Amino acid sequence: MRVEVRLFGGLEKFVKDVRFGEGFPVDLPEGGRVAELLDRLGIPPSQVFSVLINGRHASLADVLREGDRVALFPPLGGG
Amino acid sequence: MERERYLRQITLPGVGEEGQEKLLRSRVLVVGAGGLGAPVACYLAAAGVGTLGLVDDDVVKLSNLQRQILYRTEDLGRPKVEVARRQLLSLNPEVKVEVWRERFAEDNALSLVERFDVVVDATDNFFTRALLNRACVARSKPLVHGGVRNFAGEVMTVLPGSGPCLACLFPLESKAASAQTEGSSVLGPVPGVIGTLQAVEVLKYLLGLGELLVGRLLVYDALSATFHEVQVTRNPSCPVCSKF
Repeated sequence: MRVEVRLFGGLEKFVKDVRFGEGFPVDLPEGGRVAELLDRLGIPPSQVFSVLINGRHASLADVLREGDRVALFPPLGGG
Repeated sequence: MERERYLRQITLPGVGEEGQEKLLRSRVLVVGAGGLGAPVACYLAAAGVGTLGLVDDDVVKLSNLQRQILYRTEDLGRPKVEVARRQLLSLNPEVKVEVWRERFAEDNALSLVERFDVVVDATDNFFTRALLNRACVARSKPLVHGGVRNFAGEVMTVLPGSGPCLACLFPLESKAASAQTEGSSVLGPVPGVIGTLQAVEVLKYLLGLGELLVGRLLVYDALSATFHEVQVTRNPSCPVCSKF
């Protein structure tokens, strides 16, 4: 199956030729979870603070489906 | 009202003297008087938002001056909210600035939030952000969220009941969130960009203009010089807003 991934806030640095916020396709085995997606991309789970699947808050254990749009964010700072 | 002061916005379509009067009657709470709070407070005071509330318990430090444009070198060691009040009143003596030199905490959250029409998240840590989100959802107050880190930042507006809250977006209520990001690296103008966008959202809300960033996380990356929008939907099992 194929999902579309967008990486934000520096997470894009983990994947070659990927730009901040721009979607790219990733092929995963059926039933693959967010954790497997991170593994495939080489992004340490500790660097990921927030996961959205199709705009909805998700966790590393959530199962992905064909065509899902996944957005990954690191922790935010502020002030 | 000093009409000339606001002339360039009074003449905007959809604003007029009526809109300006509305701003002068409005009350906005800015939580955090740092890199985000500084541009937010400056633009809102300049625009004639009648009452600004500022909450921050910190003093001005040398490492703040790279981005916190309300403060000067001679202000080092002084309470931020006191310096900010002086600066904002000097910018626009027509507005009132109410300050709380304390942390936004469990014991003052609800009583602070309920005094205002709109609340701005200009905080620097997830604990305070989580508390602010809960208080705004509980009192049904619009919350304009901003956050920055390194070369990037983001803005989203929470309208409790009609869009996702911050806990729909982040694992705010989980233990992972307690990893504070206070003191993280940031390019000075990035909070300037984000805080300015927050001020724009506040003014749009108060004036009833345009489309707010409700359910739309606007993300800015200085390095690629791009903005991206990410749709965010309400989480039906959100630990905060699904109860309201």
